[in-house]
Amino acid sequence: MILKIAFRNIFRQKRRTILTALAMIVGFTLSSIVIGLSDGAYSNVIKMFTGNRIGHIQVHQEGYHDKPSIYKTISNYESIGGTIQGNTDVETWTPRVYAGGLGSVGEKSTAVRIIGVDVAREIKATQFNKKVVQGNALTETASREAVIGQGLAKTLAATLGSKIVIFSQAADGSIANDEYTIVGLAESGDDITDKITCYLHIEDAQELFVLEGRIHEIVVIISNINKVGKITEAIKGSLNDSNLEILPWQVVAKSFYDAMQADKQGDAVARLIIMFIVAIGVLNTVLMSVLERTREYGVLKAVGTKPIQIFWLVICEVVIITIGSICIGALLGILINYLFSIYGLTYAEGLTMGGVEFGTMYAEVNARSLMIPGITVMLSATLVGLFPAIKAARIMPAKAMRTH
Amino acid sequence: MEQNQNTDVIVTESVTKVYDADGIPVNALNGIDLTIQSGEFTAIVGPSGSGKTTFLNIISGLDAPTEGKVWLSGKVLSEMGGNELSDFRRDNIGFIFQAYNLIPVLTVEENVEYIMLLAGVPKSERHDRVVAMLESVGLKDVEDRLPTQLSGGQQQRVAIARAMVSEPTIILADEPTANLDSKTGSDLLEMMSRLNTETGMTFIFSTHDPMVMESAKRLITLRDGQIDTDETK
Repeated sequence: MILKIAFRNIFRQKRRTILTALAMIVGFTLSSIVIGLSDGAYSNVIKMFTGNRIGHIQVHQEGYHDKPSIYKTISNYESIGGTIQGNTDVETWTPRVYAGGLGSVGEKSTAVRIIGVDVAREIKATQFNKKVVQGNALTETASREAVIGQGLAKTLAATLGSKIVIFSQAADGSIANDEYTIVGLAESGDDITDKITCYLHIEDAQELFVLEGRIHEIVVIISNINKVGKITEAIKGSLNDSNLEILPWQVVAKSFYDAMQADKQGDAVARLIIMFIVAIGVLNTVLMSVLERTREYGVLKAVGTKPIQIFWLVICEVVIITIGSICIGALLGILINYLFSIYGLTYAEGLTMGGVEFGTMYAEVNARSLMIPGITVMLSATLVGLFPAIKAARIMPAKAMRTH
Repeated sequence: MEQNQNTDVIVTESVTKVYDADGIPVNALNGIDLTIQSGEFTAIVGPSGSGKTTFLNIISGLDAPTEGKVWLSGKVLSEMGGNELSDFRRDNIGFIFQAYNLIPVLTVEENVEYIMLLAGVPKSERHDRVVAMLESVGLKDVEDRLPTQLSGGQQQRVAIARAMVSEPTIILADEPTANLDSKTGSDLLEMMSRLNTETGMTFIFSTHDPMVMESAKRLITLRDGQIDTDETK
């Protein structure tokens, strides 16, 4: 009967119910969109940052990540790559050689970071060819070609067809010195990277630095980034080599990951503010509703309704409105997030997140964008409903029935 | 205080009630000592502000006295907690209010059924008792209507049915005929008098209505929160 009275009270006070529900629906939907957009943005940023650059998992010689050195190499990388590929969650892998040096074009020189790539594998793993915005990607066989970042090309006043001379120190202690033809200019999405990077064919890089078939890094691409921890552990188990370090992207790009976590905390604050507004709206309407019905609660109590039953009556009304509002809010949240996932939200000026710049933010329709607002709206509505519920339960019948 | 628990349903001892009216103490009741026995048909009369409604509220536990004690069916009301008092009212007292005070979202049938539902009476028994009670108050045909769809007289009949359906020991009626025309008031009074005779329930009215005073077997007059006269016919 208490539930029946609660239901009927909700429909009796339609305007108040609509106002209360609106506060909840708007709060839920806004919160859902904030989560959907931020999750979508994080997913895109992570996808761009990992899929196009650092990969999802990296394999190095032990200690390379903390203190990179040209001497910390992996020699049997084909065999290691084969073992990694044996994991069904692994899509592909690609080897890389890294070294620092001096790059010169004509009379201009600057510090460069040389990355030796297996062209065919790199294209498959990180869509290397799509980074080349002018000219061509490297050919699949070593041909003394180079692709340099656009920023580096600007610094060195280099154009397609220019010759770049690399000076460095080889792994055997000798002077590394050779000349390559610039066949393409690359844009990775990160200006700093583009100002210093020079891509060579992996065999050219191995020859330049006298690495004799050795590499510095294996980049692994997996099918589901959310399972990166589990897959990292699985690869560690299958390689079982203490001389190797196998690291997930969160460790490889710790500062990027930390920056994203800080961004997420910012979102939590935004959600908290939204929920605070919802709570105030709900408190106001529920409290008004209780005050308006003081006489009715007095009558209910007079005829034998227990204080606890009156408490539950008020809570039931709040919970029923909340459930209805959550259902409507969920539908709206899914619809809006779905539209944003297709059309995106374009910024007039690019937005930077975790050091990655992007102009359009795409939302994600996921369980989190429904669960978190759902739980928060339910908790905040029930919590603010407690005060009016206790007030109603403690009403003195004679005094309550004197009110109009 | 000595009590005859077989016949004394209400006993008050030095009951005082002081209200705070914007910082000014107002004495609504000034040391009322009264005993009401089972089966009485008693009217409490007096001018406005004499303390009639306050007295009814206090003897039913709807309000607490500032001083003094109230025994209802042998139990001291001030010694009961909130839930116990609610249960006690539900099982022992039926209320009839001047403003009817029906639950607006429940139908006639549901309003009458409500108290039995709180008391855990089985569904089939509830239904039988509601049907019988609505028939006895002449509302058999309006059981599915909401209170707002009834006339004042019909609403008061529902209130009487609600008060009586759970067969309480005492019926407290606060100005039950005040909002009714004389014909309806007379019919309801006759009905309550009949129920008092047939069931032996105790009826206590607060009233200004000469018709109610005429019907009452005991007439208690309050003046300035004190018993002025107490006559048994």
